Amino acid sequence: MRLHTRGLLAAVLLLITRAVDAAGLHVDGAWVREAPPGAAMLAAYLVVHNDGDRPRTLVSVDSPRFDFVMLHRSRVVDGVAHMEHVEQITIAPAGRVALQPGGYHLMMPAPEPPPRVGERIPLRLHFQDGETLQVEAPVRRAGDAP
Amino acid sequence: MHGHRRQAGRSEIWWIIPGVVIAALAWHFYPVSEPAAPPTLQKATLLPQPRAIADFHLVDHHGRTLNLARLRGHWSLLFFGYTHCPDVCPTTLQTLATTLKRLDAVPTKPELPQVIFISVDPDRDTPERLAAYVPYFDTRMLGATGKHQELEHLARQVGIVYARSRAGKDGNYLVDHSAAIVLFDPDGRLHAVFGAPHDPATLAADLQAIQRHYQDTRR
Ligand SMILES: [Cu+2]
Repeated sequence: MRLHTRGLLAAVLLLITRAVDAAGLHVDGAWVREAPPGAAMLAAYLVVHNDGDRPRTLVSVDSPRFDFVMLHRSRVVDGVAHMEHVEQITIAPAGRVALQPGGYHLMMPAPEPPPRVGERIPLRLHFQDGETLQVEAPVRRAGDAP
Repeated sequence: MHGHRRQAGRSEIWWIIPGVVIAALAWHFYPVSEPAAPPTLQKATLLPQPRAIADFHLVDHHGRTLNLARLRGHWSLLFFGYTHCPDVCPTTLQTLATTLKRLDAVPTKPELPQVIFISVDPDRDTPERLAAYVPYFDTRMLGATGKHQELEHLARQVGIVYARSRAGKDGNYLVDHSAAIVLFDPDGRLHAVFGAPHDPATLAADLQAIQRHYQDTRR
């Protein structure tokens, strides 16, 4: 009984620390798209919230599971889909930026073995002011309910 | 009996029935006298006239020839992309897979289109790679690619453009490509174009409306 309570307390503390992590920044909805067999590149998505009163800028992301992680953006211009590398993503005070299919996303080379549904992948977000934010992104098959 | 006939609602119904019968007869006997009105579509753009296209020669993910003859006798949805694309392409293929599943669930059992993913990156996307990649989304979907010349020949005819763009961080190049999905009718003619962004509900609804209109105009 006492052990259970302690476990629960630890979990609650963990949640609280994550929520107030990195002074006014938090991330939710993170997920990595399961790679279709043979896919060389993968994408990950998340929403960065800036709860503070000054703009914050995401400059890079890394993960022990990938050789590198790129900040990318897909755009459809005159009916043509382009993908481009972006240097940074700025989140306005009290604002949010969604990295989502068809827009901003993280792009990584598929590692061997490739991530499968059920795996949770750590991602570390680096901001311009030196702040870092650690999140765990579950691997999902696109189209699955979150 | 007497009481019933005095009710206003009842007596009106007796006038409506012959009206409905006459309308049904007129509709039955004169369907070709006026062309069926174009279907109301949410997203798709119907070509004013279905467009015949010249034959092309691609290879599907089973290693079989994919040419114009293989588009005849059923509806086909074609999407052009490449497997090194981690965002727009898998998102669109997932949308197409969900569209098929939606159509599966329609009680009237609409004719299912053959979904074909055409890789415009034949240097990296071999038929073998496509055989692993495409059926992941739905085993009924087909992958195909071909020589650059053949790909351009087909793409140009259906209004699809693509071009290699700058290299990524790891030396991998990207390919810009039209985000549209094109629809071929069972006569193997370009029939309609779906512009991005795509969603399964709209794709399924528009496809069924186009199929009904096609049936009506051929009666
Ligand atoms: Cu990308």
